[in-house]
Amino acid sequence: MKVYVNQKSVDVLPGMTVKHALMSTGLFKEIEASKKVYEEWGNELGLDGALSEGMKIYVKNCKT
Amino acid sequence: MKRLNTTICCVFLFFLFATFAYAQSSEIRILHVNDFHGFVEPYKPLGSDELLGGIPYLASKANELRKEKPSLLLSAGDMIQGDNWANLFLAESVIELMNGMRFDVMVLGNHEFDFGQGVLKKRISEARFPILGANVEGLDSIKPYAIKELKGIRVALIGIVTEDVPLATHPRNVAGLRFISHIETAEKYIKELKNKTDVIIVLSHIGYPADRVLAEKVKGIDVIVGGHSHTKITKPVSIGKTLIVQAWEHGKALGVLDLTVKDGKIIKFEGHLEEIKPEKGKEDKAALAIVKKYKERVNAVLNERIGEAAVDLDGENVRKRETNLGDFIADIMRRASEADVTLINGGGIRTSIKKGEVRMKEIYSALPFDNYIVAIKLTGKQIKEALEHGVSGVENEEGRFPQVSGLTFKYSPPEKRGSRVKEVYIAGKPIDPDRTYIVATNDFLAVGGDGYKAFGEAIKSSRDFPAIGGMMKGEKVVYSDSSRWVRDVVVEYIKEKKRIAPAMEGRIIEIR
Repeated sequence: MKVYVNQKSVDVLPGMTVKHALMSTGLFKEIEASKKVYEEWGNELGLDGALSEGMKIYVKNCKT
Repeated sequence: MKRLNTTICCVFLFFLFATFAYAQSSEIRILHVNDFHGFVEPYKPLGSDELLGGIPYLASKANELRKEKPSLLLSAGDMIQGDNWANLFLAESVIELMNGMRFDVMVLGNHEFDFGQGVLKKRISEARFPILGANVEGLDSIKPYAIKELKGIRVALIGIVTEDVPLATHPRNVAGLRFISHIETAEKYIKELKNKTDVIIVLSHIGYPADRVLAEKVKGIDVIVGGHSHTKITKPVSIGKTLIVQAWEHGKALGVLDLTVKDGKIIKFEGHLEEIKPEKGKEDKAALAIVKKYKERVNAVLNERIGEAAVDLDGENVRKRETNLGDFIADIMRRASEADVTLINGGGIRTSIKKGEVRMKEIYSALPFDNYIVAIKLTGKQIKEALEHGVSGVENEEGRFPQVSGLTFKYSPPEKRGSRVKEVYIAGKPIDPDRTYIVATNDFLAVGGDGYKAFGEAIKSSRDFPAIGGMMKGEKVVYSDSSRWVRDVVVEYIKEKKRIAPAMEGRIIEIR
């Protein structure tokens, strides 16, 4: 299954979560440094959130 | 003057009629949670210093909001599998809590299947609220929908779950079940219910992107109360005439949606998330009592003797050499996934276990990470490359040092990185660089954790094909069971064998 993290494509297995996509792109440490994950409509996602084919997620500074 | 009087009279009549019309409307409140995963206590999310969540506080807030107007408390699935508070009791604790909180309706999430159908049926029988799954065939104890009446408003709730359940849990958990199209299912039940009810809510565990598609494709849904993607929707989203809400995860928020309904139509709505934080004195006493009751039992369960070790199990040296604990865990993973080989990172094993009685808490300490088993087809060449990577940081005792099963190899630390591995044997035969082997590992390495690239490359080059339910599955993925952590598979094995005595077998030989 292909998803996009900060516009970079990543292949993960079905059943894997946001956390896996971040690990795959080396961005997990950004969360430890207080960044958060958002989807393409601007909603924040939990790290255990399910992924779906073609999903676009972004690691960004927190919205204020 | 006459014209002015007429105008005043018209305005008066307009407001009179408007007030009368509004008086015919009813206000109801939908309270909702999703993806709770047994997180009963407040915790600091990664990267945050703020404590969030805590089910006694959420219960208190729900009770407070319920008093204000006729309400329904709904769950959009995945209430279990996550925290020990839920897992160690196979979710019995969660159902007792939900009964105590007077949940009205719940839909099954994918994780509700994780403890098997026998446990699921028992939990459904214990629940004092309907548990829905309209697109699940073969499980008699669930219902496709429920109808609730609030202040004369008849609310239909149709429950749908992701069609991907069979790909995210162990096959035995869904044996004999079919997960059919949630879109066709929703269409079917909307047709059946639209003339019998005033409001149609789809209680969905398919994830926010799929909720949006559902709202676009299926007409007649008033509200989708969602879960699965752990999305924090702070305000209801409108797609056509459908509202979509979802309340993040782990009880860190309670979703609130107020609807004003007139003549079977929603004429006004307001929604938000109540962020849940611990506040002294604000906890619901009944929920707190249930939390405490099972928390005490968590400690008792973790202290239970699960078997006996005839030898010390070495978890100290896993970053620099083969150990009997590394062999033991790798063997269990290979057995569980029926793989040819296991390759895991020594750094995933954190402590040793002394000879004598083995308690569950010792296995949980040795394997503290929430990792599960996956098995992927790799070529002999890729396996050798993975081993090279594994031994490339041995001088610094880095966590990527491999622990293996089903293979033996020699390596020479003085040689340069990438050329250290020699003589790899699988099942007693020299590894064939072109042959494909099934390699068990954990989900962390599968996504490139500790710098392992081989698994990710295999997944990337894997041709996808549609599996049952329409989900794409990779041809190189042989096994993926996110329903059980590796530590629980190990606990199960020790319980079955009762006495263990793993010995080192010369699987990893250092040559100088």
